[in-house]
Amino acid sequence: MSFLAVQALAAGYGGRQVLKGVSLEAEAGQLVGVLGANGSGKTTLLKAVCGILPHTGACALDGLGLEGLPPRQLARRCSYIPQRSGIAIDLSALEVVLMGFNPRLGLLERPTPAMRAEARAALARVGLAGREEENYLHLSEGQKQLCILARTLVSGGGLLLLDEPESALDLRYRSRMLGLLQSWVRQGRRAALVALHDPALALNGCDRLVILEEGRVRGVLDPASDPLEEMERQLAAVYGAVSLCRCRGRTGHSQLVLLKEPDEPAG
Amino acid sequence: MKQNRILSLVLAGALALNLAACGAPSGSTAASGAASSEAAASSAASSAAAASSEAAEAAYPLTLTDQAGREVTLEAEPETLVSGYYISTSLLIALGLEDQLVGIEAKADSRPIYARSAPQLLDLPSVGTAKEFDLEGCLALEPDLVILPLKLQDSADTLAEMGVPALVVNPEDQDLLNEAVTLIGEATNTSDRAAALLDFAAGQEERLAQALEGAETPSVYLAGNSDFLSTAGDAMYQADMIRMAGGVNAAAEITDTYWATVSYEQVLAWDPDYIVLASDASYTVDDVLNDPSLAGCKAVENGSVVQIPGDAEAWDSPVPSGILGSVWLASVLHPEECPAEEAQAVINEFYETFYGFTYSEN
Amino acid sequence: MVSPTARTKIFCAAGAVLLAALAAASLFAGKYPLTLAGLLAGDEMQLRVFWTLRVSRTAVGAAGGFALGVAGFVYQTVFRNPLASPDVIGVSSGASAGAAAGILFCSGAAAVTAASFAGALAAVGLSLALSALDRSGRHSTIVLAGIAVHSLAQTALMCLKLTADPERELASIEYWIMGSLNGITGYGIGGNLALCALCVGVLFLLHRQIILLSAEEGEARMLGVEVGRLRLAVLLAATLAVACVVSLSGLISFVGLLAPHGARLLTRRSGPGTMLLGGLLGGILLTGADLLARSVAAAELPVSIFTSLLGAPFLIFLIVKGRRDP
Repeated sequence: MSFLAVQALAAGYGGRQVLKGVSLEAEAGQLVGVLGANGSGKTTLLKAVCGILPHTGACALDGLGLEGLPPRQLARRCSYIPQRSGIAIDLSALEVVLMGFNPRLGLLERPTPAMRAEARAALARVGLAGREEENYLHLSEGQKQLCILARTLVSGGGLLLLDEPESALDLRYRSRMLGLLQSWVRQGRRAALVALHDPALALNGCDRLVILEEGRVRGVLDPASDPLEEMERQLAAVYGAVSLCRCRGRTGHSQLVLLKEPDEPAG
Repeated sequence: MKQNRILSLVLAGALALNLAACGAPSGSTAASGAASSEAAASSAASSAAAASSEAAEAAYPLTLTDQAGREVTLEAEPETLVSGYYISTSLLIALGLEDQLVGIEAKADSRPIYARSAPQLLDLPSVGTAKEFDLEGCLALEPDLVILPLKLQDSADTLAEMGVPALVVNPEDQDLLNEAVTLIGEATNTSDRAAALLDFAAGQEERLAQALEGAETPSVYLAGNSDFLSTAGDAMYQADMIRMAGGVNAAAEITDTYWATVSYEQVLAWDPDYIVLASDASYTVDDVLNDPSLAGCKAVENGSVVQIPGDAEAWDSPVPSGILGSVWLASVLHPEECPAEEAQAVINEFYETFYGFTYSEN
Repeated sequence: MVSPTARTKIFCAAGAVLLAALAAASLFAGKYPLTLAGLLAGDEMQLRVFWTLRVSRTAVGAAGGFALGVAGFVYQTVFRNPLASPDVIGVSSGASAGAAAGILFCSGAAAVTAASFAGALAAVGLSLALSALDRSGRHSTIVLAGIAVHSLAQTALMCLKLTADPERELASIEYWIMGSLNGITGYGIGGNLALCALCVGVLFLLHRQIILLSAEEGEARMLGVEVGRLRLAVLLAATLAVACVVSLSGLISFVGLLAPHGARLLTRRSGPGTMLLGGLLGGILLTGADLLARSVAAAELPVSIFTSLLGAPFLIFLIVKGRRDP
């Protein structure tokens, strides 16, 4: 059985079914990207996996069903980062990161000095060293995302669910964020499910790509080994006609490049 | 930024509302405070009495100016009357007109004077309260004259437009009450009886003044109807009652024209000789005597806590029998100069003369 | 530039000193002439006034203001709304309706206190129960339920006022709604103050959880927070604290809104220090307002006039100043 197994997941809002039976798997150590057009169900998938949305179907992490776990148990195993954090009060960046320790703390306990040190280190790892005392609300959107990422890194679960974590980041921080996620999943039995906006980032950073179309899995790609034509065909469902090629940068590092082709006129 | 701006707008609005809310009462205080002054009150009382006693048979049609400054013309002597105010209803009984009443204000059963003096009033249709006047119900009674309090001036105007003469009265203090007595007396062709009523009050006031000349003036804390800690300032009707009874209002420094609220320590600081409870007080003499916060207060220690009797009417409000409040209180404060038996006799005389029952028979 | 943590500490220290000074002034300002010499000499009457009237009034002013400030901080944080206050879930209107019922159907100050306390609890219980009908547990559901209960309580209050005798009961109801500390004595405040202190203590212990509740529901849940149950506990503690105060004093406007807001604008943080400062500002505001309410006129004035008069300019100053600061 895979590390993360999602079976026949269906969920929606009100009477509207958005997710119509999604099954996917991820092995330990894998970073799985989720691609899809707007409204294809990426956010819904993430929210259903972590149980924020009521759903049918089943999600199991390391053989343990996630449904029905009490919040603290769930939070110890699984972290979710929304597109935007709902924090709307004045907190320092450090205080935001310290929230990540909550699943490990008793109701009335306070974070230990060791935890504070760990939180500082996490902030430094995402590139926010020296900004611990800054007001979270005054950070840029990108810095907020990094700060929330740091919070997730300290919470120490086995599964990370991220909803377009790169949307507000510039090019440099996008690859840094993905690099951080890659190194995180490689440590121990961990996996991450990341809805991504940027296909180039997804193709080069993820071990596996799930293409969602209208609430169903259209295909699963392995960017490292799948033939380019097959991947072009699958990606066309999301982005229209595209071309892929493998290029080598100046460092000799091989990367996939995505080119947008003109779409055929409708009709 | 934008959220901040909206927030500051909201807060500014809230502040403005608050300012408006606390501005209103002080404004009205100033207005009504200017209207009544003690000197004017007593002189007007005696001149009104003098004027009305000379009044002869009224000649209709008659045009009067009521206490809202409205001109009211009566084509003939009114034979059916509606009173929308307990004070005017009581006054109409005193003027001997109870059988001409065809409608009175709501909650008549809460006024013991009606039951004792004119029980037939309890069966009359109600025309509502000052808050909810029943205009149509009043019209349906087809009265020749309607008497309403100042609060119902708008209804009076509507009635007048529909051809029903309506007289507005505003018996807020002794002065205005005397004026209202004279006015209603003229309107209903009972000026002689109205004059007798005023003369009775003036006579008692004079009697008390003579009897109490040179007597000590104990301090009196008058505790209001709603709460022990609400009291009458010196500009209020109730303060005159204390003065005529040969006492000093403990709350004389308060100039509010409505019930003012004070604290326990204020009462302790005044340390009154007597504590007098308003006749409709929602608490009892025992409550006050047993209130631990008042321990050490002279009146409580001496047991000098009394409640104004309300067996017929609340004498601490501007009703025609209001003078009896002073008569009664004088007998409490000065039992030697004004013996209780004497006060009882005066009270009996008043009710026998004007209301046709014997007060002391309960 | 001073660090926010140090800033918070400085403001808290200054607030504590100011509150202590105002409380001391409150102990020695009033209608009954008290002298230190008289108190030390053991003048019986002076001692009685001091202990049963002055001390209890000062304690209710300072502690009540503190509780209102802390509760306001909690409401604003949990509802993620800077304008939230105990009114949001109907506690004030419930307390008013309860007090009105107490004035009409019972007698004595203790009965009115008990009735308004019961009214506040009933309103809060009802709005939380109504909101529980919606299983999604959204904040907005509680707010909507609160608005519904608030209007119900207002209607009840209106009906009670309509039946009230204008001379005695209506006047009492109106005066109660305006709020005042004038009737507070040493008798019968102990229970309220103890329960209030307990609730405020619980809120401070749960501060970290309150901050977690300020995140969106899904986010908070994924941080391991049992959102529904915790929110219920926190709101209940905050509301109990408010109910303890308003059932003694009547409605006190603005303190619960202003004090925490001022604290956050001053510290620009939301830590325990800010919550403490919110409480201190609330205590300062109410004690200061009560000092004015009892001394500017011969009669006692409603304390809410002064909490608003003192508080609103202060808040506007903070907002304007906050915009200029980096």
